[in-house]
Amino acid sequence: MKVNGGKFKVRSICVGAGLISLLAVSLSVAIFFGSENLTFFEMTETQRAILYDVRIPRVLLGACVGASLALAGASLQALLRNPLAEPYLLGVSNGAALGTMLAFVFFESFEFSRPVLAIVGAALATFAVYQMARSRAGMNVERLILSGVIVTTFLSSIIILMTSLLDATKLRSFTFWLLGDLSQATKGGFYLSLIAVVVGGVILASQARALNLMMIGERDAFDFGVEIGKTRMIVFSVASGLVGISVAASGSVGFVGLIVPHLVRLAAGSDNRNVLPFSALFGASFVVIADTFARTVIAPRELPVGAITALIGCPLFIYLLKKN
Amino acid sequence: MIVIILITVVSCKNEIGNVDHSVAFREVTDDLNRTVKLPGKVTKAVSLAPNLTEIIFAVGGGGKLVGVTTFCNYPVAATKIQKIGDTLKPNIETIIALKPDVVFVSTASQLESFTETIEKQGIAVFVTNPSSLKGIYESAKKVGEVFGQETRSEKLIKDMNSRVGEVEKKTKNLEKIKTFVQIDKSLFTIGTESFLTDLIEKAGGISITRNVETAYPKISKEKALALNPDAIILSDSVDNDEPNPVFENSNAVRNKRVYKINADILSRPGPRIVNALEQIARSLHPEKFD
Repeated sequence: MKVNGGKFKVRSICVGAGLISLLAVSLSVAIFFGSENLTFFEMTETQRAILYDVRIPRVLLGACVGASLALAGASLQALLRNPLAEPYLLGVSNGAALGTMLAFVFFESFEFSRPVLAIVGAALATFAVYQMARSRAGMNVERLILSGVIVTTFLSSIIILMTSLLDATKLRSFTFWLLGDLSQATKGGFYLSLIAVVVGGVILASQARALNLMMIGERDAFDFGVEIGKTRMIVFSVASGLVGISVAASGSVGFVGLIVPHLVRLAAGSDNRNVLPFSALFGASFVVIADTFARTVIAPRELPVGAITALIGCPLFIYLLKKN
Repeated sequence: MIVIILITVVSCKNEIGNVDHSVAFREVTDDLNRTVKLPGKVTKAVSLAPNLTEIIFAVGGGGKLVGVTTFCNYPVAATKIQKIGDTLKPNIETIIALKPDVVFVSTASQLESFTETIEKQGIAVFVTNPSSLKGIYESAKKVGEVFGQETRSEKLIKDMNSRVGEVEKKTKNLEKIKTFVQIDKSLFTIGTESFLTDLIEKAGGISITRNVETAYPKISKEKALALNPDAIILSDSVDNDEPNPVFENSNAVRNKRVYKINADILSRPGPRIVNALEQIARSLHPEKFD
């Protein structure tokens, strides 16, 4: 696999630079626009509070969530050699959502219980899907996707059961949250997501070479000295952690892990040493832009950002699917 | 041949059954301007909404209720009536088994299929969905008619009206206090179409979200921060017992002007809305209500 030839290097530097600029522009636009118009040069006390306590934490959280979901999607796709492997489709997001809901119902006063149970939920869902998909013949790709569908459906029905048992007003904020909603952003949530995405990103990047080899085939990877079991364990754990923390902060924002790595591969090829960092950058921009729409389209009311990502992501995905 | 005979027999039976009832039938009009056929004397009724249950009890029809929703917790007598599910998911089989003369419905959701099924069983469906003080009066009047309790309903309306008048008289010339009503901690509030917007005004306040579209919109934190209310009213329930943290530095929180009003009283367009009005007015203008 000669992905590092001169032509490719120039191309990946260009794509990388483009994505960094895109993120900078997205962040600036997102901070500039909101349901309130701010006079940036002479701000009142209230405007300063809006900017620093509400808008900026939310924009930055959106960036971290986008980067986390895109990283989780990109690494799972490489590991499972399946472009459809996505946290949302594999039931990992739903596992995290169920964990968050359980934390909300049973440990409401402990705020940290939400990310913790979300990670546990995501990890259990990943484990369940993986166990179901494994057969004597090894890891079967079709079985994996089917297992994901089964786990997703099962968890969805438990979530529906739980929302039915909660009372009416609680239910409404939950339906909002389940669709992916950044409006509950806090500084604490942002710091946690930032740590997660940095640590997770570094760990996944360290597995990029192994993932490259595994994409050719597990057997070949083994011959090249890749510890397959270890890589698999690391990717599953890190992806679960990233998805868990994102979902606990903002619900299940769908399609990011699917659409972002896909477009990145189209632009920069499928070397995971590029795909992983580029996906993180582009995922961050994607969610930040989508949330800017969610915040401003019907201001002062809001849309859940997950509805926007799905609205953009779904048709784009169908187009890509048909084109290839 | 046998089938035809059977059908004829069955349909005859049905007709005979209907004729028996329709002797004393009368017609009333509900909120959707539908003509509803009722027996001369309603002996059994089902209510599918807590505010309608309260109205029915207030006009003296409570004794005729044989089915209510799981939300119907007032008056206490309502809690002892058989439950038929909740407002959004009533159990049609249970309702049919109770054989009521009329079912009171407030929501328009799934109304068509529900109405069709229920009316096929010879049970009348009466729709009334008050969404303003005036609407509550009209609803009380109509419900009174259904139960033949016109005197009771007239008295109820007169009482409510005079209590509202008392409050309005006291708050008329006072400064309107900028009020935020927090329905839910995630910033669901009251908008243009909510009856509470009008109620706040009658109580001597002004809802700072009165221009936001729909009845119960969710507003952004940015907007909430910018609005800076002078008073906050919490629709009090387990998960809505304090203002959203975004109000930390608002005038309302700084001056300790946060008031809790029981969510059931505040959210149900029924007779107790006058209690809500009095409580809001007393909270906003304590000096006038000692």
